[in-house]
Amino acid sequence: MDLATLTGQLRALRDEALPRIGAAPDLAALEELDVAYLGRKGGALSGLMRGIGQLPPEDRPRVGLLVNEVREAVEGALANARERAAGAALAGRLVAETVDVTTPGRPVARGSLHPIQETIGRIAEIFGQFGFVSYEGPEIESDATNFRMLNIPPDHPARDLWDTLYVDIDGGLLRTHTSPGQIRVMHAETPPIRALLPGRCFRYEAVDAAHASEFFQVEGLMVDEGTTLADLRGLLDEFAHAMFGAGRATRFRPGYYPFTEPSVAFDVGCLVCGGSGCPACGRTGWMTILGAGMVHPVVLQYGGIDPERFQGFAFGMGVERIAMLRHGIADVRIFLDNDLRFLEQFR
Amino acid sequence: MRVPLGWLRDYVHFDLAPDALAERLTLLGFEVKGLERWGAEWRNVVVGELLTVEKHPRADRLSLTTVRVGPGEPLQIVCGARNIAPGQRVPVALPGALLPGNRAIERTEKMGIVSNGMLCSGDELRLSVDGEGILILPADTIVGTALTDLYGDWVLDVDVKPNRGDALCLVGLAREVAAATGGVARFPVVALREDGPPIGDVLGVTVEDPELCPRFVARRVDGVRVAPSPEHVQRRLLAAGMRPVSNVVDATNFVMLELGKPTHAFDAACVARDASGRAVLVVRTARDGERLETLDHVARTLTPDTLLIADADGPLAIAGVMGGAASEVGAATQDVIIESAVFDPVSIRRTAFRYALRSEASLRFEKGQESRLARIGADRVAELIVAWSGGRAASGRVDTDPDESAPARVGYRPARVDRLLGTDLGPEAQAALLARVGIGTEPSMPGSEIVIAAGSMPLSVHAAPGEARDAVVPSWRRDILVEADLAEEVVRLAGYETVVGKTPDTAMPHVRPNPLELRDALRAALAGAGLTEVVTPALVAPGQAAALGWPVLAADGVAGEIAIDGPAVTVTNPLSERHSVLRSGLVGSLLDVLALNERHGRGDVAIFEVGKGYAKAPDGAPAEWWRLGLLLAGSSGAPAWNRPARPYDLDDAKGIVELLARVLSRSEPVWSPYTDGAPLHPGRAARATAPGSLAGIVGELHPSVLATWDLRTERVLVAELAIRGLSAGQLPPVRVTPVGRAQPAERDLALVVAEGVPAADLAATLRSAAGERLRELALFDIYRGAPLAPGEKSLAWRVVFAADERVLADDEVDAEVARLISAAVAAHGARLRS
Repeated sequence: MDLATLTGQLRALRDEALPRIGAAPDLAALEELDVAYLGRKGGALSGLMRGIGQLPPEDRPRVGLLVNEVREAVEGALANARERAAGAALAGRLVAETVDVTTPGRPVARGSLHPIQETIGRIAEIFGQFGFVSYEGPEIESDATNFRMLNIPPDHPARDLWDTLYVDIDGGLLRTHTSPGQIRVMHAETPPIRALLPGRCFRYEAVDAAHASEFFQVEGLMVDEGTTLADLRGLLDEFAHAMFGAGRATRFRPGYYPFTEPSVAFDVGCLVCGGSGCPACGRTGWMTILGAGMVHPVVLQYGGIDPERFQGFAFGMGVERIAMLRHGIADVRIFLDNDLRFLEQFR
Repeated sequence: MRVPLGWLRDYVHFDLAPDALAERLTLLGFEVKGLERWGAEWRNVVVGELLTVEKHPRADRLSLTTVRVGPGEPLQIVCGARNIAPGQRVPVALPGALLPGNRAIERTEKMGIVSNGMLCSGDELRLSVDGEGILILPADTIVGTALTDLYGDWVLDVDVKPNRGDALCLVGLAREVAAATGGVARFPVVALREDGPPIGDVLGVTVEDPELCPRFVARRVDGVRVAPSPEHVQRRLLAAGMRPVSNVVDATNFVMLELGKPTHAFDAACVARDASGRAVLVVRTARDGERLETLDHVARTLTPDTLLIADADGPLAIAGVMGGAASEVGAATQDVIIESAVFDPVSIRRTAFRYALRSEASLRFEKGQESRLARIGADRVAELIVAWSGGRAASGRVDTDPDESAPARVGYRPARVDRLLGTDLGPEAQAALLARVGIGTEPSMPGSEIVIAAGSMPLSVHAAPGEARDAVVPSWRRDILVEADLAEEVVRLAGYETVVGKTPDTAMPHVRPNPLELRDALRAALAGAGLTEVVTPALVAPGQAAALGWPVLAADGVAGEIAIDGPAVTVTNPLSERHSVLRSGLVGSLLDVLALNERHGRGDVAIFEVGKGYAKAPDGAPAEWWRLGLLLAGSSGAPAWNRPARPYDLDDAKGIVELLARVLSRSEPVWSPYTDGAPLHPGRAARATAPGSLAGIVGELHPSVLATWDLRTERVLVAELAIRGLSAGQLPPVRVTPVGRAQPAERDLALVVAEGVPAADLAATLRSAAGERLRELALFDIYRGAPLAPGEKSLAWRVVFAADERVLADDEVDAEVARLISAAVAAHGARLRS
């Protein structure tokens, strides 16, 4: 083996390998070529390198340089080709993995809160911004707590306002409103008091689209030395705007409850017609959303609060009424039916 | 109360359109619930003049008429009435007319003759109760006038609140209209000619119980002719919603609507006379067993506390509630006794309820009556009877208490009124407002008493010098008793809309824990986990608890959430049997929801409710407690094309309970078999216990329960849980375990045990055998079958060990695992599955 032969063979190897690498169709073919030319044991380059030992020592460095040159050329070609092949393979895979992106996604299970509870939560959130916190009282009350302590004596004509369900417990009845909670809060706290009382109420009332015998109310109570009717108006305006929109008109007019004096009915501009008058608002342009008033001195005293020093207001609203106005619900019976076709609209 | 505006104008002048008046009244506290065009129903009904009236050629009982209704050709109309004659003005319903009750009038043929409309009776038009004859209009009525223009009116439906009995009448509302418009209300002037005998010769009254009847005024009119009232009176009564009866009875009803004073007329011939020939009325309570047939022709046995108007022979009427049939004024009545009394409101209300006879009269009596009205009412009724029925009124009246007390004085402090309202009106403006409803004001005597509260919790203070004024309250305003009542009157008259709202700027309370925090967190977690919240009625059918047989768990492990396994609380006056008992738990209600949704074709149901159970405690006191219930039926997860449906099973329900336990206390509940049977599948029911935080039952319902509820689905999973803090509670803050830096060691461990060994028991054994290095113990597989022997199962666990700051050596982990295995061998006869 002489120098010229060996260098010729090395150059021939390079000239043969480079086009073959360039033409290799995929990564597997490149792998074969890598082994065939550069494999440590059976590779063509290794075979030629064995010839180096037969050369005179002075020729060996020159051949060594050429071997490196050839190896680098082949390795470089393989690397380039591999990169190309990998890119092509990836592109192929991505094409193969194409899906119809217009099919529906896999649903994520999510339930919903009942609109009554959701509405109570919303009411609590709004009044919570003014420092009102929730309290609760029992649903089985007595004539004393549901009526007498609220300045509604026995046989008072105002009792006609609350048709009552009585139970087989001496003096027991199902609370007709959340107002008994006022007394409980007054006993539990000292002014300043800001309390909300959400809960279930009961009435002896024939069920129709507008009336339910079981329903929910949220009562509010605020008592301090200087709490006024003007504060009540301001707070209710904030509530109406938060619940029904900032531009919603509101109206304050006289109402009647034995446990407040003065008593208030609070209206908002009709949510259907906006105030121009329609069947939904009895053509008045207004919808009553709650009753309120300044807590009657008799009630304050039953709560253990001195009416000469403290004064305050209370309000009570029907949760279903608020929810019906807010969500466009026409029939109150739907709330306790629990038809999932209705409830799941709140998901 | 129905208020015909044409009638109201008798007592007050106003220049307001009906809707504007309605709004003014509403803003004054008299909410107008309806505004009705009375007579709007008379479409195409006009005034006609009868030109000819002849016999129908083919029908004896019909007449053939020609009627002029305007400039065109007269109309030929067939009529069945007998009271018609040429020249009369009558209402004519033209073809196309629609009468009250949606009665359409068309051109018809009657016995071969065309009739171009109909002549109308008063009854057909609801203008009077006369259905016999055609309504004959005044002779000067202009022919062709639409009847609506002639007799139409606006009628307001006014909601008069229970404290304003004084305004349950036209005069009372006229006062309010005057206050609103700055006008003056006119009280009717009574001009009674008394040309009969002195009253003392013909009538006597004895009140045996002046507590229940503080004043009794009576008059007598003899020689009346009972007949229908004048038509304009009938029209007014009908528009006001009251049916005309006769001129005498209508006089009492007219005065009730006009003045708010209920009165009663007796046929004097039916009242027993004393020795001197005087009719004598006695006011007394009923004697045991006495009976009376009331005007509605119901014979009633009277209870002893019923106040009666009686005579020597027995009861004549239930005072203030309803008259008796025997002394009713009828066609043959000649002499009339008028009763105009004041009765105790509570007595009247109780009596009306007892006999289920709440009448227009009793409604007014129970709100309290102004004493003065007893006298005026008697005079006014007598005047109207004489005017409408003829007769001669006896001179003078019987009156058991003619002293009419001076107006009440109610002290108030103008500064306190402004303080309550948040206004700055001052004493003069307040006085001017009060004057609009006839409340006069004067400076109080020094040190005078200010009544803050009356009734069952009275409170008075003494005013500082110069601080107070006295309101002089008209006798009819019985609702104004305390200072706050005057504050309401001031703001009512100023207009509630004049109160300028402001956000409260008084002291804020301290921050308080929200009692609903924990409940809300659990509800949010369940909704997030895919369950839909329901709210169901607390009142259920009496048989529900027995049909279900769900146990009431005392839940001893859950402090503060005790339930009572006691008798159900039952409603004594239920609206329906289906809602007559307060439930003791939630599962029955959840099954009702499932049944309803199944009926709508919806079988996949995953719902929960947070609600109360109720029962009577051993001492008879009511008990209420909070529970969380959930129900799963049908397929789990929302169905989708790319996910196979999987039916809910017990593990789904348990997983949800485990989620709740994690939210509550970052712990896992312990499961144990629930073997008390009752409504659950005997092999698929578990007790869940997370000590201190949660206890309850989770299981698949027994198929027999599904049958009872008529459910189609094969399996229903339910749970009811007692949860600490559900009634009122907060979630504890999360306490973090440091995350170790060293890699933990993970091993799998399959243990073969007998089928009867519960996984939870084996887990407990492994847990207690493991040292503090155990980080996780999770069951990941259960295997039965070859090569295991029948009756064996292999439970495969993933166990994770870690030390805080270093990686555990293999031999250390091996030693940990060996400890677990030997504990399992010792406790459960387990062997390692090779």
